[in-house]
Amino acid sequence: MIREEIEKEIKNIFRREFEVENPGLDDNLREAYGFDSIDAIELLLEIEKMLGFELTQEEKKQAMEIRTINQICDYVEKIIRARVAAGK
Amino acid sequence: MKIIQRLTDLVITLLLWSYFLFGSVAFFFLLYIPAYLFSKDRVRTFQKLSYLHMKIFFTLVRLLVLRTKFVIQEEVRAIRSSVIVCNHISYLDPILLISLLPQQCTIVKSTFFTVPFFGWLLRNSGYIPSTPSEMTGPAMIKNLENIKKHLASGGNLFVFPEGTRSRNGKLTEFNKGVFSIARYCAAPLQLVLLQGTNDLFRPGSFLFGTRNFSRIEVKIIRCLKPDYASENFSAAVLADQSRAFFEDAVSRDADR
Repeated sequence: MIREEIEKEIKNIFRREFEVENPGLDDNLREAYGFDSIDAIELLLEIEKMLGFELTQEEKKQAMEIRTINQICDYVEKIIRARVAAGK
Repeated sequence: MKIIQRLTDLVITLLLWSYFLFGSVAFFFLLYIPAYLFSKDRVRTFQKLSYLHMKIFFTLVRLLVLRTKFVIQEEVRAIRSSVIVCNHISYLDPILLISLLPQQCTIVKSTFFTVPFFGWLLRNSGYIPSTPSEMTGPAMIKNLENIKKHLASGGNLFVFPEGTRSRNGKLTEFNKGVFSIARYCAAPLQLVLLQGTNDLFRPGSFLFGTRNFSRIEVKIIRCLKPDYASENFSAAVLADQSRAFFEDAVSRDADR
């Protein structure tokens, strides 16, 4: 999955799940859209669905500090790279 | 006559809260402390002790408040590994649920965790504070993983999605948080309707209302097993659907 695809899919999730149209890539999600911790859990579950595998507890904990769409894309890229490197 | 009735309310209230207070102290020294020190599964043991404590409390309620009839659906006691969603009409609701469910946990207002003994009891029972520091960031994942394990081992999580007691018995808005938690844990939802606890112990009143004939009822109105993996799944929609089931059950009961 390349960066553009990840970005497109994350934006789709925001439109579908959180009714946020075209969020800015560096918008602070909490301040700009009232994104709370329960929304973060929903986002994590959607990311799992998108990737087709379950995230580890450690990976989930890392996600809870994310604040922007760009950071979400970095996070997803990092997970994909780690899984590829691990040969999974 | 009215004075005698008020006096009856006061005496029964004092008896019940005395049990609550002194029973808690007795439980603390005789059972909770040994469990804290020696139990291999402290959380589970604390939950069972609280269940026993509240069961005795409601046995006393039944003995002292003869005009209140309890109608508890047997299936409620048999619920396992589920997220239990309830309406909230009285302070009695959480303790009534604890008296019915041996393995239970819930999300509690964080201020209760600062109360001496009570806070210690809640924490050791695996209950979760609703404070932002516990429900955001990595701490939230830890709490959710603990809930997941608790459910997998046969326990239940009960939650009041309205957040606070209804003052007039009418349903207020449902918060979608509990439905997201259920999704995270891939757990079934049991919608449990509580009725009549607000007749026995009204919001805003210190006294138990022992003079009126009332009926406390606890029943499952729906068991939901959502397809969490579905493309169309939405926690907000599930919250709205669940609230509609409660509305329907409340209005059907009011028509009876």
